[in-house]
Amino acid sequence: MRALAFAWRSLLRRGGRSALGIVGIAAAGALMFDMLLLSRGLLVSVRELLDAFGFDVRVLASEGIPQSRLPIEHALETARALSALPEVASAVPFRIGEAEVAADSDRPDEVALFAVGATTRRIWTVVDGRDLSGREDDALDVVVNHRLAERMNAGPGTSLELRGRCSATPSILPPITVRIAGVATFPFDSGAQLTMASRFEVLDRLCERPAGEADLIMVASRPESGPDAAVDAIRKARPDLYTFSNDEVIERFERVGFSYFRQISTALAIVTLSFGIVLITVLLTVSVNQRLGEIAALRAIGFSRHRMAADVLWESALLVGIGGLAAIPLGMALSIWLDAILRSLPGVPATLHFFVFEPRVLWLYAGLLTGVALGAAIYPMWLVTRLPIAGTLRREFVS
Amino acid sequence: MSGSHPPIVEARDIWRIFPMPAGPVAALREVTMEVSEGEYVAIAGPSGCGKSTLLHVLGCVDTATSGELRLEGRDVGALSDAARSRLRLEKIGFVFQRFFLLPMLTALENVELPQAEAGVPPAVRLNRARLLLDYVGLGHRADHRPSQLSGGEMQRVAIARAMANRPRLILADEPTGELDQATGEAIAGLFDLLHKDGTAVVVVTHDPSIAERAQRVLRMRDGRFVDGELA
Repeated sequence: MRALAFAWRSLLRRGGRSALGIVGIAAAGALMFDMLLLSRGLLVSVRELLDAFGFDVRVLASEGIPQSRLPIEHALETARALSALPEVASAVPFRIGEAEVAADSDRPDEVALFAVGATTRRIWTVVDGRDLSGREDDALDVVVNHRLAERMNAGPGTSLELRGRCSATPSILPPITVRIAGVATFPFDSGAQLTMASRFEVLDRLCERPAGEADLIMVASRPESGPDAAVDAIRKARPDLYTFSNDEVIERFERVGFSYFRQISTALAIVTLSFGIVLITVLLTVSVNQRLGEIAALRAIGFSRHRMAADVLWESALLVGIGGLAAIPLGMALSIWLDAILRSLPGVPATLHFFVFEPRVLWLYAGLLTGVALGAAIYPMWLVTRLPIAGTLRREFVS
Repeated sequence: MSGSHPPIVEARDIWRIFPMPAGPVAALREVTMEVSEGEYVAIAGPSGCGKSTLLHVLGCVDTATSGELRLEGRDVGALSDAARSRLRLEKIGFVFQRFFLLPMLTALENVELPQAEAGVPPAVRLNRARLLLDYVGLGHRADHRPSQLSGGEMQRVAIARAMANRPRLILADEPTGELDQATGEAIAGLFDLLHKDGTAVVVVTHDPSIAERAQRVLRMRDGRFVDGELA
């Protein structure tokens, strides 16, 4: 009987205790699995979100948080110049603002407003009606998200009265009337967010900003060039602007913005890892101490130290392996629940996820569990290999 | 000092000293003995006289503080732990007072165990395990676990296990110590059988009825043989 089969029978012999160990590992493993999903989940999800727009380069006038960034002046001309670069497929200037729409209630609703320069490439997908057009007559057209359309009980062709929120307070400028051209889905929408997209003219009129200013220009590189070549070309053409590929944006997020999640998940993963090691070490140590006579007898009949250590290691591997496997569906279920809780926070885009499965998580998880199995077996293996055979047999006889 | 056959075990001037809080205690003092091939030796003496310690040293599970031990002419003191384990596995069979059968294995699997460790192919070891259980009269109990066996039956299985790898030497430490007299007699009969079949047997015992079956009885007191080696 080889060590694996022997270990299996030993575990079955103490079924209750083994089940306890497996349940413990399943619980700790589920938490550890979730921490691995969380450690990079947000990053992966944001990356998917960025890629979903079809733009892989961002151009800004300055660094820093969005509220403190300088606008890009002459954004339409700049975008046109960037579009002319051989590495660039298209460049779209964006301005981000806020507005209020009059609702049935006394209190107006706040609306996130994305204004774009004339272009055909969009970050939204029209599902009803039509998209914004470049015609002069349609300058005050907007597309709205489902929630806003439902909230206003409006659809394509309906007019809305809009007032700008150009700083923290509503604008003193008179409201303007816009026409809903279509209903669209926006990837950055949170569950409760009211969103609207328009041409620059709408935001210009609402806030009286200088015409042609944009908060950022989103660039799609040509497939044959790729984003890195496009970034290099833009940096050469406009060294005064700040240009980042999606990779660089993610790398910056990883370094600064999302490091909290990684730190939290690392700390919790270490705690669960330690718990798993201690639990299995205790169970195996108790088990070894209860069968010292048996172990000494096996050594006496010729079982080597190596073989006895292998038995203990296999017991540890089986407990951790079975518990670890059970932890995966448990962890997945738990992550769905936790993800739903976090996604329900205000302002979180509905398509964003905090717990994201990647195949590498499985490898990492398997590696960590292997570490748990090895770590947990060290002390009991040391006990069985250092066991004095004659002394133990003598003690067993005396006891 | 020994039989007519060449010695399997030769112990010369063996000392075994245990460090104790109150000072070192000599469990064996200058013990010299031989066990020849096929010989049946009993070691008798009062509790604490060093019988089991001697058996452990002879069986290579304990190391003498000084002196020389040879098994089939090989100096055991020069062997590594792994080599001593291999030696025990292939050359020596142990029978313990408390049987030490593995409770999660059947009688058959317990007998297979040393063969599996020695790398004997499954079909061969299964066949031999069945033969050995028949040999000790427990062929019909092959699939029973130790908890389903009586003390005498467990000791029979332990003897079959000790014989699994065809050892040339069987060492038994108080093999009837936990059995009633009738069962003990039956176990003693098995050792007679092993001896007749050519296996050297060394039995440590308190029981005069077991000791008197041996070809030689070595009496110990205070870590030494009384009257030299022979009594």
